[in-house]
Amino acid sequence: MEFSIATTVAEALDALQNGARPVAGGTDLVVGVRHGKSSFPDQLVAIDRLNELKSIDASDAGVRVGSLVTHAQLMTDPLITDRYSAIADASALVGSPATRNVGTLGGNVMNGSPAMDTGAPLMVLGAQAELASSAGSVLVDLADLWTGPGQTSAASDQLCVALKMPVRPERSGSAYVRLEYRRAMEIAVVGAAASVALNADGTIADASVALAAVAPTIIAVDGLSTLAAGRTVDEQLLADVASAASEHASPISDLRASDTYRRHTVGVMAKRAFDAAARRATGEVIGIPVNRAIGIGAAS
Amino acid sequence: MTDIAPVPNPALPNPALPNPSAPGATRRFVRADGPDKVTGSGRYAADLQLSGMLHAKFRYADVAHGRITTLDTSAARAMPGVLSVLTHADVPDVRYSPGISDRTLFAKDVVRFEGEVVAAVAATTKEIAQAAVDAIVVEIEPLPVVNDAEEAMAADSPLVHTDWESYEADEAVVRSGNTVSFSSITHGDVEAGLSAADHVITSHHVADASHAAPIEPRAIVAQWEGQKVTVWTSSQVPFDARAGICQTLQLPTNRVRVIVPHLGGGFGGKCGFHFEAQIAALAKAAKRPVKLVFSRREEFLAPDRRREGMTVEITSGVKNDGSITARKARIVIDSGAYASDAAFFPQLAAMHVGGPYKVPNVEIEAHLMYTNHQPSGSVRAPTAPQACWALEAHTDQLADTLGIDPVQFRLQNCVTEGDTGIAGQVYGAIGLKECIEKAVAASDYGAELPDDEAVGVAVSWWPSFPGPSGAHVKIDDDGAGQIITGAQECGTGAVMTLRQLAADEVGLQPEDFEIIYQDTGVAPYDTGATGSQTLINNGRAVVRAARQIADELRKLAADHLEAAPGDIVLADGSAHVAGTPTKNVSIPELAGIAAGGELLAAHGSAPPLDYPTVAATCVGEQGVAGWVAPQFACHAVRVKVDAETGVARVMEISTAHDSGTILNLTGALGQVHGGVLMGIGQALTEVTRYSDEGLQMNAGMLEYKLQTAADAPPITTQFVEPGGEGAGPEGAKGLAEAPNVPTAAAIHNAITKVIGTPVNKLPMTAERIWEVQQ
Ligand SMILES: Cc1cc2nc3c(=O)[nH]c(=O)nc-3n(C[C@H](O)[C@H](O)[C@H](O)COP(=O)(O)OP(=O)(O)OC[C@H]3O[C@@H](n4cnc5c(N)ncnc54)[C@H](O)[C@@H]3O)c2cc1C
Repeated sequence: MEFSIATTVAEALDALQNGARPVAGGTDLVVGVRHGKSSFPDQLVAIDRLNELKSIDASDAGVRVGSLVTHAQLMTDPLITDRYSAIADASALVGSPATRNVGTLGGNVMNGSPAMDTGAPLMVLGAQAELASSAGSVLVDLADLWTGPGQTSAASDQLCVALKMPVRPERSGSAYVRLEYRRAMEIAVVGAAASVALNADGTIADASVALAAVAPTIIAVDGLSTLAAGRTVDEQLLADVASAASEHASPISDLRASDTYRRHTVGVMAKRAFDAAARRATGEVIGIPVNRAIGIGAAS
Repeated sequence: MTDIAPVPNPALPNPALPNPSAPGATRRFVRADGPDKVTGSGRYAADLQLSGMLHAKFRYADVAHGRITTLDTSAARAMPGVLSVLTHADVPDVRYSPGISDRTLFAKDVVRFEGEVVAAVAATTKEIAQAAVDAIVVEIEPLPVVNDAEEAMAADSPLVHTDWESYEADEAVVRSGNTVSFSSITHGDVEAGLSAADHVITSHHVADASHAAPIEPRAIVAQWEGQKVTVWTSSQVPFDARAGICQTLQLPTNRVRVIVPHLGGGFGGKCGFHFEAQIAALAKAAKRPVKLVFSRREEFLAPDRRREGMTVEITSGVKNDGSITARKARIVIDSGAYASDAAFFPQLAAMHVGGPYKVPNVEIEAHLMYTNHQPSGSVRAPTAPQACWALEAHTDQLADTLGIDPVQFRLQNCVTEGDTGIAGQVYGAIGLKECIEKAVAASDYGAELPDDEAVGVAVSWWPSFPGPSGAHVKIDDDGAGQIITGAQECGTGAVMTLRQLAADEVGLQPEDFEIIYQDTGVAPYDTGATGSQTLINNGRAVVRAARQIADELRKLAADHLEAAPGDIVLADGSAHVAGTPTKNVSIPELAGIAAGGELLAAHGSAPPLDYPTVAATCVGEQGVAGWVAPQFACHAVRVKVDAETGVARVMEISTAHDSGTILNLTGALGQVHGGVLMGIGQALTEVTRYSDEGLQMNAGMLEYKLQTAADAPPITTQFVEPGGEGAGPEGAKGLAEAPNVPTAAAIHNAITKVIGTPVNKLPMTAERIWEVQQ
């Protein structure tokens, strides 16, 4: 294997064009090889020194999160925790402190796992991936980026340089909740993210829900906005959100859970995420991550 | 009776409880190997590098059951860099295993579980060794897989060992077909007892297999010099490992030296004899040192130590006055493909399903069955956590039927001093009742709790295991002490406490003693880090040796101070005349005098302790129905259950233990915390899953879910010290296994209180807790 270290984005793009695969934190790629899940590519280019991909920049258009921003940054950055809370909820759950300090947002997204934690949050927040190659940059919707388990539509010479999200509407909130069997070093059994925007009268203006680990990719729950718009958040609405999520899921059975259990629990996660998002939209402060702030995972 | 003030988990102080007791009889000191381990300066077996060292890899069966039709190593042998390749044909044709000699070093004709070693290679690099292993041609004709212990009992079940009758075995082991070992305990008249009952209740419980999962995957290095071999190995039992090498390679004990560098945990998984002989044989054939380091996956699949799966059916008769009239039970245990050390499991499981209760009429039978799974063997308190989980779930059901509070029911029925236990043993001063009272009092039992929370309570017991054990103690010319012991440290800290025992005898501090240990070449025999036995056996040996040194010191001091030896007091680093502390001489000075004459060197050996008699009729007697210095415990666990998902979380645990006198509180608390965490894992997340083909599906840390530090609840610990019946020095009993026994049971009882329905499968995974509510 040939290993190089890129010092500029241009160098990284050159390497990609010459057939190299990028490695950011390596917490998926290297760990996977060590586990025998895959083997090292012939050429690997380390991108972890590209400081220009490590910042979170806000503008009138929204926020641009560099692909090398780590989970540890995301879970503490004030803009993310305040306005894009679902991402912070997700990043705070990733692995352990070591994993979070090394693992990156770009790596999480480009690894394409259907169980990735930041995927559903990014989707409900309307994120697009900014893919760069020697030929230039394009913005890709996440629904078009993830094509199957571990698969993306990105060409091998495309580097994800950032995730871009529009500004958050007034009176909006988002949250991510996952089902986990232990409180660290866990993988989502199922997960759900919700984004809720309220009208001035407290009724729902807009809402979206996306699900993790219940389909070959992260999926959005279609029709959620229609289902919720104009209603107030009550037991009935939450039950409807849960049913919509369960119906939308096409889970498999594996070592972690049966399809039946996944289908049921993804509904539970969806309504909890929805509830937390709606409460955040009213200005209520719910700690990051929701999994540790309320319910079964709460500290006491 | 003295007891120690409740000690909250230091990481999570519990302000409601008083602080740890002031220094008194019980001390707290940091283990001597701690700094090495936490700073990284400690060296483990995998760290060893010897000149010319080769790397070993194994070829495994990879199928659960089959007959080897082709085994061709020629391509592997021809590969450059390969220096030795071994199969069964290349080593003595010896069957081994304690109790029943049913195993060979390499598969002989038939493979009986996926992790069975078929061939081994030593090569100049790991990569070449792996390539050579892959180049070995192994063809296996499939045989029917026995994938379940209950199925193994069926009359028409295929036999795992068709030649079982020809195996050498201890006469006491009752065997037949797939039954590796059968035991029953019968006491009183169970049918009469059931007839006399007001209620007869039956319950059924199924526990899945789990793993010891030590963090260090095992490593072995073997090097020959002439006719002698030295083996460095991550073993909990170096003398057992030596015996295994000697038996299988047909060597006298004095030609084999086994050394254990720092051990990265064992939990029973590194008891017994594992792979040392294959590596020694490879090294001999290659004429070079050879090293084996397991991958995590191999650590899950290959050792013959896994926590056994078990099914339990219990029937009890109870009277409206709350007394238990009779107990009948049937236990089926999955032994896996070989007996390992498990021949005594049926009798031990029977004791735990009987439990520490007054039950006048008992009839319990237990069957240990061959299957095509990885062999089961002693993992921390073998059989007990599962059996206790079943019994204590059943006990709550009994109390519920009678409408009696489950704690009251236990207090009414538990054994206390003078009571007769299920096998007819009469107990002396024991602290079970106090354990229940203290653990419950320090918990939220009976307090107002949210609907999704409840406190569950369970009691348990565990024997102390007397055994032969020896140690040398010496003090060199500068007054520095050394203990040279056969005892093995597997992380419990028991060996570290030996320093305190020696120091107390000779008037020095624990820190004045260094310990040379885990080397069969320098120290006398000890059973090893198994059966919570180190302190009670090796502790007595060390005390015996240290007493001889103390006598020598008194004689020297008497000469020096012109007093009678009987008047010399050894304390605080010096010898003084009783009543006249100013008339003194330092121990280093006395050691200097001794160094020019008769040396301060002594040997101590712990004499056997007598086993109590039992009145019960025991078929398949394995020596574990009458218990020396039994330990007792009660755990009260507050659990929160998320009914919608079935996720259960342990919020808080209150524990009380009678493990006799506590010599080092720091070490003792560490054992309780570790045992509790392991118990939570077994209760909720740890499970080995088998495919229909009898293969493990989650042989890795990703899908085998251990508990993490983030899952650890606050743990409150109280020790009850009834005195009198202790087997070890100063009345100490064992402690390493007992805390692992009642945790899962208490968690079960809490979950049942919250959701109203018992979960009769272990582990009680979120999905299972959710399922029983549907
Ligand atoms: C112990 C442990 C626990 C974990 N827990 C979780 C968890 O709870 N939740 C979760 O979602 N994940 C978890 N993970 C997975 C992993 O840590 C995350 O997915 C992480 O975000 C990956 O980032 P990375 O920088 O390490 O990716 P890498 O391993 O460097 O890369 C992953 C993949 O993406 C590609 N890639 C990386 N960066 C780019 C880029 N900028 N452009 C194009 N392609 C790129 C790589 O070529 C590779 O194919 C865990 C991993 C470990 C080891």
